Amino acid sequence: MIPFILKRLGSGVVVLLAVSILTFSLLYVSSGSIARNILGDQATPEQLAVKEAELGLDQPIITRYISWLTDALGGNLGASWFTSEPVANALATRIPVTMTMVVVAMILISIIATLIGVAAAVKRGWVDRVVQIGAIIGDSIPGFVIGIILVTILAIQMGLFPATSTIAPGVDASAWVLSLTLPVIALLINGVTGGAQQIRSAVIKQLERDYVRTLRSRGIGEREVLFKHVLRSAAPAGLTVLSLQLIGMLGGVVILESIFALPGMGPMAVTATIQSDQPVVMGVVMYTVAVVIVVNLIVDLLNGWLNPKVRVS
Amino acid sequence: MKLGPKAAAAALIVSAALALTACGGGATGANPAAAKTTTLTLGTVQEIRSWDPAQAHVGHILQPYQAAYDSLLLRQPDGKLSPMLATAWKYNDTNTKLTLDLRTDVTFSDGAKFDAEAAKANLDHFKTANGPQMAQLTAVTGVTVVDADTIELNLTTPDPSLEFYLSQAAGLMGSPKALGTEAIKTEPVGSGPYVMDKAATVKDSQSVFTARKDYWNKDLQKFQKVTFKTLTDLTARTNALVSGQVDATLLDPKTGKQAEGAKMTLAANQVDWQGLLLMDRDGAKNAPLGNVKVRQAINYAFDRKTILEQVLLGQGTPTSQPFGKESGAWTEELENYYSYDPAKAKQLLKEAGYETGVTLEVPSVPGFETQLAVVKQQLADVGITLNVGSALTNTFTSDIAAQKFTTMYFSLFQGEPWVAINQIVSTKALYNAFKNTTPELQAKIDAVQTGGKDAGKLAQEVNKYVVEQAWFAPMFRVNQMYYHNSKVTVTPQIQQAVPSIYNYAPAF
Repeated sequence: MIPFILKRLGSGVVVLLAVSILTFSLLYVSSGSIARNILGDQATPEQLAVKEAELGLDQPIITRYISWLTDALGGNLGASWFTSEPVANALATRIPVTMTMVVVAMILISIIATLIGVAAAVKRGWVDRVVQIGAIIGDSIPGFVIGIILVTILAIQMGLFPATSTIAPGVDASAWVLSLTLPVIALLINGVTGGAQQIRSAVIKQLERDYVRTLRSRGIGEREVLFKHVLRSAAPAGLTVLSLQLIGMLGGVVILESIFALPGMGPMAVTATIQSDQPVVMGVVMYTVAVVIVVNLIVDLLNGWLNPKVRVS
Repeated sequence: MKLGPKAAAAALIVSAALALTACGGGATGANPAAAKTTTLTLGTVQEIRSWDPAQAHVGHILQPYQAAYDSLLLRQPDGKLSPMLATAWKYNDTNTKLTLDLRTDVTFSDGAKFDAEAAKANLDHFKTANGPQMAQLTAVTGVTVVDADTIELNLTTPDPSLEFYLSQAAGLMGSPKALGTEAIKTEPVGSGPYVMDKAATVKDSQSVFTARKDYWNKDLQKFQKVTFKTLTDLTARTNALVSGQVDATLLDPKTGKQAEGAKMTLAANQVDWQGLLLMDRDGAKNAPLGNVKVRQAINYAFDRKTILEQVLLGQGTPTSQPFGKESGAWTEELENYYSYDPAKAKQLLKEAGYETGVTLEVPSVPGFETQLAVVKQQLADVGITLNVGSALTNTFTSDIAAQKFTTMYFSLFQGEPWVAINQIVSTKALYNAFKNTTPELQAKIDAVQTGGKDAGKLAQEVNKYVVEQAWFAPMFRVNQMYYHNSKVTVTPQIQQAVPSIYNYAPAF
């Protein structure tokens, strides 16, 4: 198990390095007018030159990259070119907002999607059809549209939830929960419908396998067959879908955070990208890639734990 | 979990009903306030980069700084300048030295005293801090402390907009003890009507201010608490206003309809103009543009009123001039200088020798896709082909400076005459990318610069010149759709998309 983890971590580092080089190069292409963007329309060429030297933009790209990498390895991600806020601070205040939303949504999706998926696979008939139709509808409506519908009805018309975030220090936990409810539901609907559909297929596939018939013929109870054997065999497919959901969610969350004015990673990533705020973009990209690598690693470990065959292959 | 067919049917009906009410619109968010409000919550379109006063910006980005910082001069809603930290100010005869008398009874929130040395420290800091508005003090070579309550600003050349700038970013005064420190970037230290409540402030979400005790000018301090809630997304701003989370915010014509449905009040104000910038006026890269008749033909090709109705729901005024109505450079006669006349446009193209057609290239500017489509259609009707190129990226200001675009559709601020001249007309202006000029125009610009109090009037000549020479094809001045609820009253501020902080008051 340990060599497996080390191998995966090793390849994760290679991926991080490759992505950092790629992102850095892409940002370099569009960094031509950073100084002017910071100093405004009326800045003189001399003032622009001073700013460029200050940001190190007068150095060759290799030098700049190596200096960024050295700092990053030492734990220093630099500071925003526009706000001077250290990138590490910026990430530290925003990651909790985004991750709270994503983690809560993922836990709920895992539970609800599994229940619905299993119910559809076992009951079939009308339950199955409702799940199938729900999956199509859920997949076809983007999360932000669901978000806007939820805000219009539940926040503006009925006043049950705040229309935009009320997250602030000192505010009691209930305000937090109310602020996060609508965006989490918007994330949930896509996730649950997609996830349930995949889990349903995986469970059906297992139910048709010979070993299920054997277990049943031995008189083992239906409940035990389902939860001890079928679900365990269907889990890898389910976990893969859920991990993809989580990674996809990191994209969906960007728009939802804007609509609900949540001070998470999304708005920061968008602003930084539009401005070509290189240190911030690099920080956001590295963090996102690291999350993806970790999620994949966890999924692989869980699969290995559930199904020892995976570890060997 | 067991769902019966009845439950499933009920769920379907409920969700359908919810969806239908969503489509029905017509929110009911307005609730009349019973008592006079003591708090003001504003939805702002952008997060503050840094609270260092030298990093302050124009218009809607200036507003939050006004909570924490007093400025040397105060700009009234109609644009007149009145005393604030400076009680009187006067130019010398050659308009190259501005003397300011300062208040002596003002302290900063950290206890430091405001005096001539503090004012000098701020102006010096502003000049060297490389902020986004540092060009405001370009003409100032140095600041001299005459005595404890008098300073002199020495200029290389006259700058008719300097007094205006002292009511803007360049005039904001921070505590000399805090200037240049790291702390002031996240927590402002000024002498203004409000002080930041650091504990309640969340970066990228909200900045909270409370009224400062013993503030020297109670007239400017109308609330106990002021919150700036960062809402960069238009949908979020609309939702926050309609649901009562903010008292006032900036919307657009379409979302404005929704706000009106929720009984919000519009405080409209014209700040920007939009239209075509025909930048290659010497025909350096696109020969036909060098011909004034071609540029005039372009101007005659547009049915501005119809475009405005269709694209901006009528929220604006058609115009042929790029200078703003309150700028002093505006004249009635230039308002409809180019009326919709396709026949005349064709005639002018024929006279110019371009009967067979002219081709223009414009970049695709985000947010103006609809305008560009209509412009393309109307130009095609008179025989001009408009090719919409690739989208603008964040390199666009350098691309403009590098003369990459000969023509572009854009929205531009209509500031004070000298500000506008330096933005779109003079050879230093970014939006005069090809640095076009003539001795005749330069003489008119020079007259404005040395014109002192008559600068606005003299700028009418510059305006007339660029309209007659068709340097631009302005379409309309656009209404800023600033909405507020019934708890507060709001007075629009000229040349600002959002009002100054002093223009709000509790209703009743």
